Amino acid sequence: MREIDDATSQPPSKSPPIAMGGDLPANARTLLGSTASRMALPSPMRWGGAGGGVKRSLMIDPITLEVIWSRLISVVDEQAAALIHSSFTTVVREAGDLSAGVFDRGGNMIAQSVTGTPGHINTMANCVRRYVVPNYPIDSLQPGDTLITNDPWEASGHLFDLTIVSPVFYRGRGVAYFASTCHAVDIGGATMGGDARSLYEEGLAIPLMKLFKAGEANRELFNIIRANVRVPDQVIGDIYAQEVGNQVGARKLIEMLDEYDLPDIEEVSALILDRTEAAVRDAIRSLPDGVYRNTIMIDGFDEPLTIACALTVDGDELIVDYEGSSPQVDRGINVVLNYTHAYTTYTLMAALAPGIPNNEGAFRPIEVRAPLGSILNCTRPAPVSARHLIGHFVSQPLLTALAEIVPKQVIANGSAGLWNTMMDGMDETGEEFAYIFFSAGGMGAAQDRDGLSATAFPSGIMGVPVEAIETAAPLLMHRRELRPDSGGAGRFRGGLGQVMELEIITGAPANHSCMYDRTGSPALGLLGGKPGAAGDLRLSDGGRPHPKSHYVLQPGQRVILELPGGGGYGPPSDRDPKRVLEDARQGYISVDTAERDYAVVISAATMAVDEAATTALRKEREA
Amino acid sequence: MTSPPILFAVDIGGTFTDLVALELDSGAIHVEKLLTTFPDPSGAVLEGVQKLLKSNNLSPASIRYVVHGTTLITNTLIERAGAKTALLTTAGFRDAVEIGNEGRYDMYDLALLKPPPLAERRLRFDVPERMLADGTVWRPLDETRTREICEALRAEDIEAVAICFLHAYTNPAHELAALAIVREELPAVSTSASHQVAPGMREYPRASTTIANAYVQPITERYMERVASGLKESGIDAPLNIMLSSGGTTTVAAARAFPVRLVESGPAGGALAGLYWGRLVGQKDVLAFDMGGTTAKAALTRDGELAISHQSEVAHVHRFKRGSGLPLMVPMIEMIEIGAGGGSIARLNALGLPAVGPQSAGSAPGPASYGMGGGEPTVTDADLLLGYLNPEYFAGGSIKLDAESARASFIELSTALDLPLERMAWGVHQLVNENMAAAARVHAAERGLEVRRYCMVATGGAGPVHACGVAQGLGISRIIVPPLAGVGSAFGFLTAPIAFDFTRSYVAKLSELDLRELNRILKSLEREGRRIVEAAGVPASDVTVRLNIDMRYVGQGYEVRVPFPMETLNEQHVGLMQRAFEDEYRAFYGQLAEGVPIEAVNWRVLISGPRPDIKSAPLDAVDRSDDAPVAYRSVSFAPDQARQNTPVYRREQLGVAWSADGPLIIEEAASTTVVLPGWSARMAEGGCLLLTRRSSDKNLQGASA
Repeated sequence: MREIDDATSQPPSKSPPIAMGGDLPANARTLLGSTASRMALPSPMRWGGAGGGVKRSLMIDPITLEVIWSRLISVVDEQAAALIHSSFTTVVREAGDLSAGVFDRGGNMIAQSVTGTPGHINTMANCVRRYVVPNYPIDSLQPGDTLITNDPWEASGHLFDLTIVSPVFYRGRGVAYFASTCHAVDIGGATMGGDARSLYEEGLAIPLMKLFKAGEANRELFNIIRANVRVPDQVIGDIYAQEVGNQVGARKLIEMLDEYDLPDIEEVSALILDRTEAAVRDAIRSLPDGVYRNTIMIDGFDEPLTIACALTVDGDELIVDYEGSSPQVDRGINVVLNYTHAYTTYTLMAALAPGIPNNEGAFRPIEVRAPLGSILNCTRPAPVSARHLIGHFVSQPLLTALAEIVPKQVIANGSAGLWNTMMDGMDETGEEFAYIFFSAGGMGAAQDRDGLSATAFPSGIMGVPVEAIETAAPLLMHRRELRPDSGGAGRFRGGLGQVMELEIITGAPANHSCMYDRTGSPALGLLGGKPGAAGDLRLSDGGRPHPKSHYVLQPGQRVILELPGGGGYGPPSDRDPKRVLEDARQGYISVDTAERDYAVVISAATMAVDEAATTALRKEREA
Repeated sequence: MTSPPILFAVDIGGTFTDLVALELDSGAIHVEKLLTTFPDPSGAVLEGVQKLLKSNNLSPASIRYVVHGTTLITNTLIERAGAKTALLTTAGFRDAVEIGNEGRYDMYDLALLKPPPLAERRLRFDVPERMLADGTVWRPLDETRTREICEALRAEDIEAVAICFLHAYTNPAHELAALAIVREELPAVSTSASHQVAPGMREYPRASTTIANAYVQPITERYMERVASGLKESGIDAPLNIMLSSGGTTTVAAARAFPVRLVESGPAGGALAGLYWGRLVGQKDVLAFDMGGTTAKAALTRDGELAISHQSEVAHVHRFKRGSGLPLMVPMIEMIEIGAGGGSIARLNALGLPAVGPQSAGSAPGPASYGMGGGEPTVTDADLLLGYLNPEYFAGGSIKLDAESARASFIELSTALDLPLERMAWGVHQLVNENMAAAARVHAAERGLEVRRYCMVATGGAGPVHACGVAQGLGISRIIVPPLAGVGSAFGFLTAPIAFDFTRSYVAKLSELDLRELNRILKSLEREGRRIVEAAGVPASDVTVRLNIDMRYVGQGYEVRVPFPMETLNEQHVGLMQRAFEDEYRAFYGQLAEGVPIEAVNWRVLISGPRPDIKSAPLDAVDRSDDAPVAYRSVSFAPDQARQNTPVYRREQLGVAWSADGPLIIEEAASTTVVLPGWSARMAEGGCLLLTRRSSDKNLQGASA
């Protein structure tokens, strides 16, 4: 149980204790929760509890099911399209920091839009089912109602993400919810970063409440938000964009129900979730039973942190336990269990069941545990603003643990954590500006190909064009290019990181919040592959800002970001010398690196492999 | 010109080269179809022209102009068979095209591949220079270094050079200076500058487009040369106009400068034909729907014009995955393509549910019923089992369909799902319909269009078979099945006006527009456009000039395109711009963002000649009395109902006054039109078949529920 579950805090109530172990009685769950919180749905639970009662005469055969289900997917894509096109911020539009989905009456996520990022999709799924629905069962809502929250523990792990949920009514009855989660460009408080010592410093908290009541905007709430954020037009504008998306989704769903003469989507939902669950169980069953472990070290705030995972394959179920990971810290990099759960299930699905849709059914056979009070299951009111800095890393030991049983389905470790750069200050006209953009280092290599350079993983977020950054904020980017020699050597090379050099051009100082990891702990290679280069952060005059704090960037000063590279896969000595040469010709690696890491001797003058010298060197190294 | 004037259209596709000649006075249409010649497609073009002239006794002198569309550019990009291309870019940003958007187009594919840039890294050069976002110079162009780079280019035997500097769309001075140097130093090399090829913000797609343009330029020049001189040798002195992806045509000279604007010109012709047939029957809002063997394509009009997009992709790593291609920022008729065709294969997906496509049996081995070795069930096999297709008259009888093979191909699937074979076949038919409808629906949603108001124009071998089903899924109640199905794209070329458009980015809040500067920009764009259009043979008095302004609320990143009168702008126009924007915005998003300032971003000037007048269409005068059914066959229209004995007509026997209520089937060599129960069919203008849904239908009323 959480520590601050005090009786005085009135609705909205917290989601039920995170322990949701199968058929355990309630008290046993609580007991379990006191040592290790667990998140998994018991498989028999699929009707989401509330409501029901509608007599079903319909026989849905597999064809009709597939037709309706494809339709549902197109409906959420329409929702996301409307949201993106009416959005006011590059965070949503260009970076794609959003999710959109449709839920049945019980709050089970059935379908998600193709656009989106796991940290939002899977957390939104849990938030609606475990927090929104218990507090606002669909039958307690009326048409025109819309709910909002940014509770980090119940939703996506920090205050910046607004989850907006709208019920849909059909023939006088609530039939579904549409929800979306978007990253607000500002939420007040300290700007995004790891500095805060508690949640209360991190901005405006919005407990679950109505944003619209029967179509009427909740003016008081809008005023509170407006008064708390630095760029109210953008924040409010995006809230409207989310509402537009939900309404478009609702309209399209109603058209679909009409067309197929369905009373609701309960039966379709149950069938899809069950089939998904069964497919995921099949995938798990094909793995050898056992416990597979891996532990990595990452930078942390001031002290390095441990992320330990034990992956248990038990028949058709998976248990991921992060026991042994570091305790939570008093800086804003703590991760709520919901977020840990999101990136764990995402990573497992990508590695083990990439063709199977991601919905509530997929989560059922997977249980995620982390010790309460650990960095991956922090307690209120721990600061959490930059939680992705740690959260993205759960993918790393997980993939390495899986490499023991499915080496061809996984990739080596990569830069993993997005590098988030947030700048705020005053522009030339004296107006406040706040701007955030995300950048990616290199991905790890796979068994048959090099890692992707400058590509976000596990996050699904995209970078922002330099021209868009410079148009929206008084920044000047002097350089943004691949970082040679940053990809870990291997039979297949890790992806390269990138280098950026930035300056502020207002003539006045600006605040730079840094959210960067892997400056001290490079991405490890896999099965003999070498680690990628660690990241680096420095100023043109030699200063070295804290990679997870903020500092004031002075006019004329430049900050240089070197993003980490991905790890290699397999021994470098197995790499085809032709590939090594090609890398050197293109400048992905230097001639020195070719010789040092790959034992391939290249003449810098002719840019050709010196075959004799290479054979000799490889022989010498083998000996 | 003594003999009656003729327009000529040539469409080079991957398999066939189609030619259409239209006699303007009589409306007579002549067609010719040849196999495309490789590697030099100009062979088939010239041969086809000769054949068409000779067999119809046409005089080369009476040709007014020739419109030409080709897949050459698209194929060159897909096959990566273009020129050795270098990029000159702002120092520090040579990897912009490789870093791309840093995203993954498929979240669950850990072994994702991205399309490699067309200019490899060692051929991308840093040029010291820098513009700021507002167009002021931060660092002047280093001309000495630019000349040194030219040395390196010469040593590499570079054939084409792309220049893309940051913020060149707001101030092209550095690109122009660098361009001059490259042309001086390397006169034989093709050059492309980003502010000319793709003037818009976002360095990755702009650089990608500029490189693609440079990459295809040498091959395009050689090809155009051959076609132009070949036509001359055939005695054709008329102007050669080139079909653009935007649905207009232009001069050979403009096409050579911007060959990347020719990508997908064939499908553009198909969409234009759809627009033409729609107008002929009095329909303004048209959904052009084409379904062939492997893919289905769809394009939507907006306010009676085909919607144009400036964001597209080419040469995808995964053909149907958005984001897996090279981005292009050129005006292109907005179109969606999905993996749904007659050859699409039905299989069980990861959930054990049936799914259709995008894998396709193509034309070899083809569907199981072709009897050419294909064993997996396809859409064509399903259509045959349901009775929609005539096994003796598929593709005009050139392919005999074998129902037994089709049946056999479905056994595994229907056993796995424990469904009767016919139910399974019906399901495959329905699934592919829903896939296509879903794609069209999302496409419409992304543009804020209400698709149920639209009239579908169905083409392609499989289009008319599935048209009613797809239309029902979209709530559409009118379908046109046009004539000339075999050469639809080439016919569409004939309907294209001579047109060219220019875009200039000039970003400013409406309240801060510098009207003098703006008028200067617009005038210069107009001048340039008129030059091109008049060179293509349009009299100055027939040229129209239209303006579209891309506007948004400050802070937004997607613009709304607002048509605006092209005139000298004064203070009063600013208020009108705001009103025009708000009208468009409300139509798109429902509500305005009150109080947020509005800015204009791109200024698009479209200069065009008149739409060719080809009103007198081919079949108007035909009347027949033999339009009774040629046969009856048993056809399945619903999974839970008995088969119906359904009349079958031959299209060429239907007279102008013919009409009948469905269910019925109309066969022709190029396709089969399936008219479902609840629909009626009649002959309409120009030999079109018009299918309408009878209003008593439940789903039409459902729209108001």
